Amino acid sequence: MYKDGMTGIHHNNTGESADMDKTLKREINMARNIQSQLLNGKPPVFEGGEVLGSSVPARLIGGDYFDFYPLLNGKIRIVIGDVMGKGIPAAMLMILTRGAFRSAAETTSSPADTLTSMNQALYSDLRTLKSFVTLLCADWDPSTFTLTYANAGHNLPLYIKGKESIVEEMPKVKGIMVGGLPDQVYTNYTIQLHEKDAIFFYTDGIVEAQNNEKEQYKLDRLIQTLIENKQKCVGEIEQSVMESIEKFTEGAPQRDDITMVLLKISDQQAEITSLNSPLIK
Amino acid sequence: MIDYLMKETEDGKIVVRLNGDLDIDSTEIVEEELLPAMEKYKKANIDFENVPFVDSSGMGLLLNIVQSLKEKGINVTISNVREDVQVVFDLLQIPEILGDETFI
Repeated sequence: MYKDGMTGIHHNNTGESADMDKTLKREINMARNIQSQLLNGKPPVFEGGEVLGSSVPARLIGGDYFDFYPLLNGKIRIVIGDVMGKGIPAAMLMILTRGAFRSAAETTSSPADTLTSMNQALYSDLRTLKSFVTLLCADWDPSTFTLTYANAGHNLPLYIKGKESIVEEMPKVKGIMVGGLPDQVYTNYTIQLHEKDAIFFYTDGIVEAQNNEKEQYKLDRLIQTLIENKQKCVGEIEQSVMESIEKFTEGAPQRDDITMVLLKISDQQAEITSLNSPLIK
Repeated sequence: MIDYLMKETEDGKIVVRLNGDLDIDSTEIVEEELLPAMEKYKKANIDFENVPFVDSSGMGLLLNIVQSLKEKGINVTISNVREDVQVVFDLLQIPEILGDETFI
């Protein structure tokens, strides 16, 4: 009798834990779908260039974030961010960050103001939760070919020059990560871009990707890959970077979320030529 | 995986030598063992000489250690940060957040 009772309890436990596994798995998959659908909305379409973002989480879901927000004045506001940590907790804070960005983007006139407003909105929550988010926010103005950006502790984007074989970090702009200190005022910096130039925004999961020998992918390899593929369209550049990282890591487990956003200015000359070409024929 | 050595100096300061990557897998060790152990002292130093890598979770753990101890009136310093790690600290402006005097 007694023994049977024990067996019964044992069975029950296994049953409950299997049920829990199944429920948990289902919920994680649903959370993953929510996140990937929110991240992978349609990138905005605009004259004279193209943008694209992609994110590969290290676990089932991740804490990296990117977003595009077309402004009424024709500019495109771009943001990329990295929430501290990984997995489900980071994903929850990523959604919080997205909400703060979307409402700040609507009401603020520059990337610096957006970051100031986001820090204002998120600081006390992030302090309570002992977390933080690094963010880089930029406005692309297709009418003047200028990119204005502000930084909250994030990696500087890379400037891929269209007419030279040069890829370099954009000029340094300082700023404390969101959730780091209260009442922060961020600074805008503007650069002039030219035809065929591209900007590569990314998170540290790329340069810190490790192979089995514990070597990191590093900035140099990223720059080399970008130089080799810079003439391609944004989708192909993104693929080349992913392939290069995969080749380097040789199947070693991905340690951190990998995210990139590409902005590329089209070759206006080529576009005009191709438009005219039927006439020339 | 991180481990650590603790040694009390003659003037009652606790010196913690971290050994290994400070990352998400360090969370339990830091929050459940290291931080409570350090709270028993008036002064503390964290030696980063043998920490080759700190990820964002590790950065959060470090901020948590220093800010929690300072709130309790414990003087904390950080020393021997490797160049690679210092680059990340600087990017995140950790010295500005924790106070320049924290880094010796």
